[in-house]
Amino acid sequence: MPHKIAILGAGPSGCYLAQSLLKLDDALEVDIIDRLPVPYGLVRYGVAPDHQGTKGVARQFARLFERQGVTFIGNLDVCTGDHGGEITLAELRELYDVVVLATGLPTDQKLGIEGEELEGVIGSGALTRAWNDHPDSHDLPPAKTGKTVTVIGNGNVAMDIVRILSKGEGEFEGSDFGTHHAERIAAAGIERIEVIGRSPAHMAKFDPVMVKEIGKSARLRFEIADLQLSAGAEADNTRLQALATLAGIAPDDARCTVSFRFGWSPVRLVGAGGKLTSAHFTRADGSEALDLPSDTVITAIGFCDDARLGRADLVAGATDIDSGRLAPGLYAAGWFRRGPRGTIPENRADSQAVAAAIVEDLASLAASDKPGRAALQARFDRLTDYAAWQRIDEHERATVSEGRVRSKLRSRRDMLALALNETETPS
Amino acid sequence: MKITILYGTETGNTEMLSEDLESEFGSDHEIEVKNLSDVAPEDLDLTVFHVFLCSSYGDGELPASAKPFAEALGASDTDLSGLRFAIFGLGDSDYETFGHGSEQLADMLVKHKAEQVGPRLIHDAQGGDLAEDLAFPWFEERVAEVEALSDAA
Ligand SMILES: Cc1cc2nc3c(=O)[nH]c(=O)nc-3n(C[C@H](O)[C@H](O)[C@H](O)COP(=O)(O)OP(=O)(O)OC[C@H]3O[C@@H](n4cnc5c(N)ncnc54)[C@H](O)[C@@H]3O)c2cc1C
Ligand SMILES: Cc1cc2nc3c(=O)[nH]c(=O)nc-3n(C[C@H](O)[C@H](O)[C@H](O)COP(=O)(O)O)c2cc1C
Repeated sequence: MPHKIAILGAGPSGCYLAQSLLKLDDALEVDIIDRLPVPYGLVRYGVAPDHQGTKGVARQFARLFERQGVTFIGNLDVCTGDHGGEITLAELRELYDVVVLATGLPTDQKLGIEGEELEGVIGSGALTRAWNDHPDSHDLPPAKTGKTVTVIGNGNVAMDIVRILSKGEGEFEGSDFGTHHAERIAAAGIERIEVIGRSPAHMAKFDPVMVKEIGKSARLRFEIADLQLSAGAEADNTRLQALATLAGIAPDDARCTVSFRFGWSPVRLVGAGGKLTSAHFTRADGSEALDLPSDTVITAIGFCDDARLGRADLVAGATDIDSGRLAPGLYAAGWFRRGPRGTIPENRADSQAVAAAIVEDLASLAASDKPGRAALQARFDRLTDYAAWQRIDEHERATVSEGRVRSKLRSRRDMLALALNETETPS
Repeated sequence: MKITILYGTETGNTEMLSEDLESEFGSDHEIEVKNLSDVAPEDLDLTVFHVFLCSSYGDGELPASAKPFAEALGASDTDLSGLRFAIFGLGDSDYETFGHGSEQLADMLVKHKAEQVGPRLIHDAQGGDLAEDLAFPWFEERVAEVEALSDAA
């Protein structure tokens, strides 16, 4: 019998891994398992709602399930013993020849400073999950901001957040950004967004094109400070050039000012009565201090492990983490393997390399006598499959509001109702 | 007819389209598909019709897998006289530099004296069309053009 492979996580890494495995050996039996009822990970729940072109990569992944014989098994939460979940990693490994962990890194990295627990401080992951209608956000209070927002971090996720906060309510045409989110942002009446990072501007993490895109929204004013720290940079530095395209924008009827500051490290968040009032920063050498009055602070400084699969121990004890080998029959790919860095294309290259390692190892493994998905299907009666996702997908496209391409089902309950053909109809 | 499809990609959309073209037209033509990352300009067989497929990144730049080829071509004086090629782009009209990756590649090939057959078409990731729905008829037309050119010669 062909070898049975379970890929945990239906995000880009898991999907690219399935694609690469089948290119190397199309006899493999590949299942992709996700804790959510629906596939595609951060393509659906991270990539900005107004970047539908980027989400288009999901068409490639759909092929896996539609034509290439990969099985999607949704709504199955896999964990180590002490973290709840429906099945443990050890149990899953008994059922398959190979298990690959491609579960990403979902938790917001903390600043590690005083005041982070104040009301008004939001992590970028929590915020972007809410904006993308991730079902884990459904039972949380709605994400909202005050009139002065400080975004800490200079990566592309920070730029996504600044762009979405600063767009006008009518500027989400063609996106799948829920009208309820756009209305809430408009109602906040944001007057000032401070975007502040540790690096000098010429070394900031953002892609220049992401900065230029912010400049395309109507009625924004821009302020760019701290460029003296980049005095020694090359004249053709593309980040400085992108910032320069914003510097000239200052319409008379501006709704909101977006201010970029560089070279500041956060030291403290200050509040009154449990609510945030300001954010304090300093220069790396302590020479200067900055105090930004803020109703809301959004931290966008990266992601870390949710500890539910014992990643730290697995990585520390890995046979060869560079090729994705954790232990015999156990592999890692994507953000889970290499940390929360890199865009979708980098996961593709990463997954190709891990697939090669797996296929190499399988060559010396006896034919499979593992039960694979049949054992999961016998044990769990609320798993979702690809046909269930297609029903959800169709429903979401059929019920769109004006000017949107999709209206996401927001709760797990509504998804499962459609997915499992349960009688409750989604609200 | 013998056809070589060369693709430049980053997230794999262009690779998938290349494979789709191969499965759609592979029974009528002798098609070879290669990633541009695996090809050097001086190795192109100038007698074979080449179809380039290429996306765009950054600010209208070439995708990663096309960059080494483009750099090698740019740095060389390789003469591509006699090479007939057609080119199809993948892009996203959200970017002002829509389709600039394939445009750059086309310009370079022409500069090295290759002959472009037919118009460059660009699939827009924002639009409702599937890439293959645009590329299949485009491919058939280009092949017919090259066949007519060869017959005339
Ligand atoms: C807000 C944001 C915006 C981004 N925008 C872009 C962009 O525009 N362009 C770009 O190229 N890149 C972007 N990225 C980066 C890109 O999303 C990542 O590179 C990529 O998603 C990482 O892929 P992954 O498969 O490793 O992880 P993920 O995409 O996170 O997928 C992990 C999957 O595993 C599942 N899972 C987690 N735990 C379990 C468990 N215990 N059991 C079962 N399943 C589990 C999750 O539900 C999820 O589906 C963005 C990232 C973020 C956070
Ligand atoms: C970061 C980024 C930058 C992009 N820049 C451009 C661009 O400048 N011009 C364009 O036409 N398309 C641009 N695109 C769109 C891609 O070319 C398009 O999504 C294409 O389908 C990708 O094909 P590939 O998967 O083969 O690389 C960009 C996409 C991303 C994610």
